[in-house]
Amino acid sequence: MKAIQVHNLGFFYKNVCVLDNVNADIETGKLTFILGKNGSGKSTFLRILAGLLPYQKGDIHILGNDNSKLNYTERSKIVGFLNQQHKAVFPFSVEEVVLTGRAGYVSYIPKEIDKQAAKLAIEKVGITHLANRNYTELSGGEQQLVMIARVLAQNPKVLLLDEPTSHLDFSNQAHLLSLLKKLANEGLTIVAVLHDPNLAFLYGDDFLFVRDKQVIRSATSADAWNVDFLKTIYHGNLEAIPYNGRALLVPYMN
Amino acid sequence: MVSLFIGPSQAASPGDILKSLFNFISGNQATTENYTLLKSVVFDVRLPRILLTFITGGALAVSGCSIQAIFRNPLTDPYILGLSSGAAFGAALAMAFAFIPVQLSAFIFGLLAVGLSYFMARKNKSISIVSLILSGIIVSGIFTALLTVIQYVSDPFKLQSIVHWTMGNLHNANWSKLQSSIIPIAIGVSVLIIYRWRMNVLAMGDDEARTAGINPDKDKLIILVAATLASTSAVAVAGIIGLYGLIIPHMVRMMIGPDNRQSIPLNFLFGGTFLLIIDNFSRTISGFEIPIGVFTMLLGAPFFIYLMKKTNIGWGN
Repeated sequence: MKAIQVHNLGFFYKNVCVLDNVNADIETGKLTFILGKNGSGKSTFLRILAGLLPYQKGDIHILGNDNSKLNYTERSKIVGFLNQQHKAVFPFSVEEVVLTGRAGYVSYIPKEIDKQAAKLAIEKVGITHLANRNYTELSGGEQQLVMIARVLAQNPKVLLLDEPTSHLDFSNQAHLLSLLKKLANEGLTIVAVLHDPNLAFLYGDDFLFVRDKQVIRSATSADAWNVDFLKTIYHGNLEAIPYNGRALLVPYMN
Repeated sequence: MVSLFIGPSQAASPGDILKSLFNFISGNQATTENYTLLKSVVFDVRLPRILLTFITGGALAVSGCSIQAIFRNPLTDPYILGLSSGAAFGAALAMAFAFIPVQLSAFIFGLLAVGLSYFMARKNKSISIVSLILSGIIVSGIFTALLTVIQYVSDPFKLQSIVHWTMGNLHNANWSKLQSSIIPIAIGVSVLIIYRWRMNVLAMGDDEARTAGINPDKDKLIILVAATLASTSAVAVAGIIGLYGLIIPHMVRMMIGPDNRQSIPLNFLFGGTFLLIIDNFSRTISGFEIPIGVFTMLLGAPFFIYLMKKTNIGWGN
């Protein structure tokens, strides 16, 4: 089953074509990673899916809904989105931050059911011990988990994440990706932009590559490990080092 | 309550007031010969002043808190958008040429200034804090320049009343001022109370608000209009009470934290009460009344610098 269907998508930023004639399908209940060079348009693609950027051509269906026809409230019940980095200004408690994820369900003041949903999301991410702490006092890794709890509190069917590991250390990266994997196994469709192909191949079910204004799917998962293919994606030198029956990708040094 | 008993009138000592209040409540006929004088001091001078001071302080604090939340910057307040200089110009214009009531003119020009700043800063349907503050500075500059022109051409007597107005003028409070300001303040503050949790959502950032299901541009505009309505009405009757809308939200946040569900109502109560306390000082500390705007500005400036050093939050974020 397809969770997201993108058909002939075209996106221009100030008359410059960023994505052209993009066709892509994303499977339900899988962890899909989007890879590509900096500036290739992978974050743009994700933000378009999230309804944050209006596109000029083509159409996108998310679980059968035309994405351009959904308003913010309707979309929030289907799609959750996590920005690359979140900067907090006021020292809200973790509970208060997670509760703001319920905005689509709340008319003006959250009710008991919303507080329960927030509490459940906090438990699901495994940060109950942080619930009463100030968000601003947490480490980067903890803050990212809080933001994931926040987006889970809105009960999305599809979760979109923009470089969720970019500000995290090694162990936090692994912790976060294992959590995403677990959520996907429970039936959530997850699409994440990721910088590091090694991490992506380690955790992902499916891979999309953004190159030359196009979104390409690797024909088989073996392709993902194909160095020649990856060289065309990253326009550069990289090599695969065999390691325990897998391969580690490293930038090639002259 | 205490404020009722304090004031420069020698004829009304706290004891006398208590006595007459007791008589009034217990239904006795006036026994003291100066009952009428007392009644006039308490009901026509002090009571409207107390109520006006309270709603003014409350309105400024709630508006300040809301504006800080929606622009995600704890160093903003309603005056930053040009409200105070617009209102001061409006008041001066009306005093110098007397074509419409001072209060109405201050109100109109206060709104006009905020409107100008807003539309100058608006781009692609959304609004950034940096451009808003810059256009606020420009608009303030224009109105301050125009105010100077009026002051320059005014006769000394009018000039004095203009200067008095800009320093905060709760001392000439009366029932009609209270009547004219209470409705717009009540409307503005009610809207802000209804939207108080939305401010938590908006404080997360625009993308975060959109993807969680609300339209931040629409909600910010509603909150900005309500905050402007409340604070401009307050400024129109009370003059410029400097930095008040900036400081009180901080004090409230220090007391109960940043959750606007609690802090918006508390800002109204605390903002009102605290301005009453300051006002009591300003009218009792010396033989003549020190303008309240001067008082809040002198208290507020060091506090603002302290906050700026402590929070590390620049205008850009």
